[in-house]
Amino acid sequence: MSGTLLAQGLVLGILTGGLYALLASGLTLYFGVMKVVMVAHPAFLFLAAYATYALHTATGIDPLLTTVVTVPTFFALGVAVQRLLVARLAPESLATMSVLLTFALALLIEGGLGVVATGSYRSVTVDYASQALRLGSVALPADRLIAFGVAAVTLGGLFVVLRLTRFGRALRATISHATAARLVGIDTDRVTAIGFGIGLATAALGGAVLSLISPFFPAAHWAWIGRLMAVIVVGGLGSVQGAAVAALLLGVLEALLQVTWGATPAALLFYAFLFATLLVRPQGLFGGRLAQRF
Amino acid sequence: MSEPVFALTDIVAGYGRAAPVLRGLSVEVPAGSVVCLVGPNGAGKSTVLRVASGLLRARSGSVRLRGEDVGAATPQQLLARGVAHVLQGHSVFRELTVAENVRLGAYTVRDEELVRRRCDAVKEVFPVVGERWHAIAGLLSGGQQKQVEFARALMLDPAVVLLDEPSMGLDPRTTATVFDQIARMRALGVAVLLVEQNARRALEMADTGCVLDLGRVHLAGPARALLEDPELGALYLGRRATPTETRSSP
Repeated sequence: MSGTLLAQGLVLGILTGGLYALLASGLTLYFGVMKVVMVAHPAFLFLAAYATYALHTATGIDPLLTTVVTVPTFFALGVAVQRLLVARLAPESLATMSVLLTFALALLIEGGLGVVATGSYRSVTVDYASQALRLGSVALPADRLIAFGVAAVTLGGLFVVLRLTRFGRALRATISHATAARLVGIDTDRVTAIGFGIGLATAALGGAVLSLISPFFPAAHWAWIGRLMAVIVVGGLGSVQGAAVAALLLGVLEALLQVTWGATPAALLFYAFLFATLLVRPQGLFGGRLAQRF
Repeated sequence: MSEPVFALTDIVAGYGRAAPVLRGLSVEVPAGSVVCLVGPNGAGKSTVLRVASGLLRARSGSVRLRGEDVGAATPQQLLARGVAHVLQGHSVFRELTVAENVRLGAYTVRDEELVRRRCDAVKEVFPVVGERWHAIAGLLSGGQQKQVEFARALMLDPAVVLLDEPSMGLDPRTTATVFDQIARMRALGVAVLLVEQNARRALEMADTGCVLDLGRVHLAGPARALLEDPELGALYLGRRATPTETRSSP
C-alpha cells in the first residue's frame, strides 16, 4: 500500500465526509426539534436532485444556481409537511408513527418520480465538476470539493443561525423543553414548522450537490437511509456537531477501507459502527446527558 | 385582605374527554402575597396552575387578572400581561447557558437596553445566577437551576408568578434557599401562587393557604391558622407524632 494511495483515500474521505454531514444535517434537525424519524429525507434529497436536473436541462442554468429556486421551495414544502402531516400525529407516539408516515412519503416520492421521470438513470454534467485539482500526487476532484464547500457553508450557516440568532435560541429552547419554551412566549408551533422547513432546505442543497456527483434514479434513496441514520446515531441523536464529526469520521474510514480492503467491507462500515454504537455507547459520540433528547 | 390581582372563580377543567380534575375551584391571589395550594396527590394542584397560565383552557369558570377576564388568553398573551409560570421539576433549557436561559425570559421584548436592565435586576435578586452567567444550565445543581428558572420568570417583571412544586427533588438546605427566594419575590410586590408537596414548610412561609381535595378548595384561610388546625394537620400535613403516640404505635 503506497503512501500516495493512503493520502488520496484520506483526502477523498474528508471530502465525502463533508457531503455526509450536509446530507445528515436535516435528519438531525428533525430528530432534535420534533423527535421525528424522517425516513423520507433521502427521498427528498433525490427529489431535489431531479428538480436540479429539470431546471438545469430546461433553462441551462448552472445546477448550483438552481438552489435559488429549490431551497425556498423545499423550505415551504417542509413547513407544509410539518403543519399538515407531522403535527397531526399524536405526541406520545411521534417517534414510531413518524417512521410510518415518512416511509409512506418516501414511497410516494419514489413512485411519483418513477411516473414523471421514468426509472432511467439521470445525471447532471458540467465541465467544471469533472476537473480535478492536484496537490502533489493527490487529486482533489472538483465535484467533491464543491460538495465539501457547500456542506461547510451550509453547516456554518446552520451553526450561526442556531447559536447567534433570536430564532436559533427559540429553536434550541423548543428542542430542550417545549412547554417551558411556550411559557416564555415562544410560538413553538411556528418554530417547529420553520425547523422542519430548514431541514428540507438542506435537502435541496444536498440534492443539487448529489446530482453533480453521481447518476441517480428514483429508488436511489434506499441506499442512503441506513447510511445517514448511522451517521446521526453514531454522532448522538439531535446533536448537529456530533453528526458532522461522525460524518467526517465515517467518510474517512470508508475511503481508507475502500483503498485497502475494497468496496464490500467499506459498505459494511456504517452498519458496523451503528451496531457498535448501540451496543457500547447508545447515546452516540456527542449524546451525553446534555444532548439527551428522549 | 387587599384586592386580588389574580382570581380564578368556579373553575371546571380537565384533560381531553376525561372527567374534570377541577370541579368548581375558586382561589384569589392578592398583590405582594404568597397563596399556597396544598392537598393530596391528584387533588388538581398543578392543573390549577396550568389553567392559570393558559396551558389548559377551563371548561367553565373565569380567570381574572386585575379584574379583566383572561380565560381565553394563550400562555404568550398571559405572559405579556404579567403572568409567569415556573413548571414542576427542572425546566431550564439544559443545553443553553444561564445567560441564554435568563434572556429567553424576555423573549417577547425587542428593546435590548430593557433586557439588559432586567438581567442586571434579576442578577441582583439571585446572585448565583450572575455568578454562573456563562455556565451551561444543565450542569448546575438542582437548587441553582431552580433559581435560574425563577430569574427567567422575573425577566418581564410579572405581577403574578405561578410556582409548581419548587422544592421537588431538592435537599432541605437548598429547599430553604428556594423558599427564601420566594419570600424575596413577595417583597418585590409579586403575587405568588404556589403549589407545594412540602405543605408544612410552604405554609410556614405563605400568607394564605388553600387545601384542595377532589378538585375543589376544601378549606382556605391564613396559612398560620391552617398550620395550627389539628384536624388539617392529621389529614393533609402529616401529623407530628407526640412521644406518647410514638411509643404506643404498633
